[in-house]
Amino acid sequence: MDSSPSHADSGPPTGIKPYTSLFTAGVRRTIFFGLVFTINLAAGIWLFDLYDRLGMHRAHGLILGLFLLLNGLLTLGTMHAFIGAWDFLRGRRRAICITDLAKDKTGPLTQKHVVVMPVYNEDIVKVCGRVEAIYRSIEAAGQLDAFDFYILSDTTNLDCWVEEEVAWTNLCRRLDGFGKIYYRRRRKNENRKAGNIGDFVRNWGGHYEAMVVLDADSLMDGGDIVKMARTMELYPRLGILQTPPKLIRGGSVFTRMQQFAMRLYGPLFIRGLNYWQLNSGSYWGHNAIIRVQPFSEFCELPALPGREPFGGRILSHDFVEAALMVREGWEVWLAWDIVGTYEEAPPTLVDHLKRDRRWCQGNLQHMWLVFARKFPLPSRVHLFMGIMAYLGSPLWFLFLAFGTWVAWERRKSDLSDLTVVSRLFEWLDKLAAWVGQWPSLKPVVTQLHHLRDLTLKMTTNDQALILMGLVATMLFLPKILALIGGVLHGPTRRSFGGAIPLILGVAMELVLSMFMAPAIMIAHTFMILGMVMGASVSWGNQTRETDGTGWGEAVAVHGPAFIAGVLWTALALWIGPSFALWMSPILLGMLLSIPLSVFTSRVRYGQALKKRKLFSIPEEINQPEIMTLADNAQAAVDAALTARAAGREGVIAAVVDPYVNGVHVSLLDASDPDEDHSELAEKMLKEGPGALKKDELANILYHGPSVLAMHRAVWSRPFDTLHSSWGKAVESYRIRTEPDAV
Amino acid sequence: MGQPDHSLAALRPLNEGELIEWEEAYVAVEAYLGALRIRNRLLVAELVRGILWRASARHAKEPGVSVRSLAMDETLKEIAEWTKQVLAEPLQQGRLAARGRLALLLTDMPGQWQSVFLTPEPWPPAFVESMRKSYLKAGPQFAALTMTPRPLELNAIGSGAAQWWETMDRRPVIRKMFFFFLLLLLVAVVLWFVLGPDIELPR
Repeated sequence: MDSSPSHADSGPPTGIKPYTSLFTAGVRRTIFFGLVFTINLAAGIWLFDLYDRLGMHRAHGLILGLFLLLNGLLTLGTMHAFIGAWDFLRGRRRAICITDLAKDKTGPLTQKHVVVMPVYNEDIVKVCGRVEAIYRSIEAAGQLDAFDFYILSDTTNLDCWVEEEVAWTNLCRRLDGFGKIYYRRRRKNENRKAGNIGDFVRNWGGHYEAMVVLDADSLMDGGDIVKMARTMELYPRLGILQTPPKLIRGGSVFTRMQQFAMRLYGPLFIRGLNYWQLNSGSYWGHNAIIRVQPFSEFCELPALPGREPFGGRILSHDFVEAALMVREGWEVWLAWDIVGTYEEAPPTLVDHLKRDRRWCQGNLQHMWLVFARKFPLPSRVHLFMGIMAYLGSPLWFLFLAFGTWVAWERRKSDLSDLTVVSRLFEWLDKLAAWVGQWPSLKPVVTQLHHLRDLTLKMTTNDQALILMGLVATMLFLPKILALIGGVLHGPTRRSFGGAIPLILGVAMELVLSMFMAPAIMIAHTFMILGMVMGASVSWGNQTRETDGTGWGEAVAVHGPAFIAGVLWTALALWIGPSFALWMSPILLGMLLSIPLSVFTSRVRYGQALKKRKLFSIPEEINQPEIMTLADNAQAAVDAALTARAAGREGVIAAVVDPYVNGVHVSLLDASDPDEDHSELAEKMLKEGPGALKKDELANILYHGPSVLAMHRAVWSRPFDTLHSSWGKAVESYRIRTEPDAV
Repeated sequence: MGQPDHSLAALRPLNEGELIEWEEAYVAVEAYLGALRIRNRLLVAELVRGILWRASARHAKEPGVSVRSLAMDETLKEIAEWTKQVLAEPLQQGRLAARGRLALLLTDMPGQWQSVFLTPEPWPPAFVESMRKSYLKAGPQFAALTMTPRPLELNAIGSGAAQWWETMDRRPVIRKMFFFFLLLLLVAVVLWFVLGPDIELPR
């Protein structure tokens, strides 16, 4: 087995035929973006004509500009689903899929690969459970020899650190994984996750051809990992292979709704995305396999101009890494056919928004990269879509605000609704005259005249309704297409629990997501305003489980949305009931943001829906083996070695427990710094770990002799000379015999 | 089993204070062995008794030191010495105690080798081999790759913006002036929109 791959040069190997030609990519991109552009332009012209007929207002120009941008984004999303559906209908054999290279290929992998799991203050037992499941799954696929595993810790919580050491030791003991499953903790977690992966690549990357990058909540089927690694080996031009992870294990209404939506609508978007991006795909930060050598060479992220929030270190590294890879000629593909790829989602809307705060800053930093040289167009499109995912919110807010302003002015001015003839009438007339030059196109001329006559009869109300209908179609088409496909396709229908749960699920998701959108819009708008004011985000660990959002927290988070809703509703009602009715979905969303956030966060309601198969996903109804493996994983838990026993958790265990102490000290760098920590150690013994500052405690825990000395002290000194926490911990080991037992 | 050189005849009556002290010492040693997950009561009792005899001998020479401290000191010393012999390793920077305890854990002493614990040589070869092979390998040998960030090449617009941005970062006065100017511009635009002339498009 070649364990140290080497590449002749920095670019991808030459002389290997690309998987798709430039021509194919060009045609597909022209079709896709041509459709987006045409539909958006047509809608823009339609709106312009409508405003023109009503009489131009000063805000109309702004509204039109915003409409073109927002409708463009909407059309872009819808076209992904539409083209994806078309790609589905064309059949599997005609679809372009990079992993087809590995189809029916067997035999041992020839190169060494690695699975890396970065962790940051996570529940390590669960993380190790996932590692164990993946380990066993790859073992079952018969390719364990080709893989190593790394738990890469950036954990800052010192109790978590000790727990990680213990869990990893247990995992290795149970799986006989020493020398196969590795653990590393960085003392300073510079540059967050990107720095964590980078540190791994710098130190150990040379051992491996490719790395499967996971997140702490990721789960991947071993067979699929092997397939990805095989594709890497068979196609040396491949730099990154990204899989589309599915959301699983949702407990609350919010998470279940998200995982249902992603599971049902996602495949259409994924296929649509693959249709145009092909070999210039993107990387989403996890559940992907990356060729290590080019990654090390090109993907160390440059610092952006200026300071955070808009400059400095790049927060959202994934998109940029993919763009850098593509820029250097390496291919980045989306493995849309990989099914055994999973992740978990934030359990509540509040947690979702907290995560969004980080992503928002990260994505907005990418504005610099839009002006970077040499990036190919698809990479710029990915970056632009990422930026607009957040910048779209304040733009939408402005769009609504300007719309309200126009309505308010109209109400104040008491203007008549007398309208002029549509310009479309003149344009269609001119177009018909021009087309009429060619006699063979007479039927087209007839149709154009017919359309022209229709525009003459059209009222502004009709015109507004037609535009509204178009926008609504764009908004709901992906969901409708996915629902039709799901209901008509037997295996899909059954996997979601039947037609009725599917239809009800889509209807509920539609209503809930519609009402949640305004709250998210307001939250994103405030995030961006905060960034403009110079507020930068800190690195928090992601909440994976919760018992729901409290009312107080919901008020704190959604208060601005609620207040905006109250004021806006009052204004809309003053303008007129008709306008208020138009605005009602948005206004209701704002007014209901607090209760909606609270009720959708509740696990008990989520479980009630689960009982009725509502928002159920195939992985829930028929659990995949990898999830069962993860559920049953217990290797990291052992009563003989634990840092979670009552009264002796984390740091306390590292000092008191003979085995935890042994593990901890043995994992420290053997060359202890020549520092005297005796004063701090004494303080810790007398006043407890809580008496020390975090960095002081960390310094002591990094100093083997100090930890050993404290172990000796807590066991041999009289309890009255120690802090009570040590006494309690020591006492917890006492073998108790009942005084009256005979 | 047992300590043949210590018969019951050698026992002397202890006063109340001594009884409490030795009870504390007993409990501490027993708890430590419990922490090592030795579960066999007879074995624990034997080990505790042996350790306490040695502590008693030391106590006679060091009356100022508390009995519990002596007993625990003996316990830790005994385990460290014994594992040193089993591992046949020199003491490295005082970490051998940790290394020894780790070896006991990875060898599954509490599960498989309780009866061997703290016994004199000869030990079962399988046990010795397992102890000596046990180690924690957190990471393999380094296989370094370089990761050097390449400078971000911006186009003319980007470069200009970057220069301006960094200037504002360096000079807060300019930043304040810039944002003040932006605010003025915003106010002006709003006023123009609210009070400005209507738009007439040619038809």
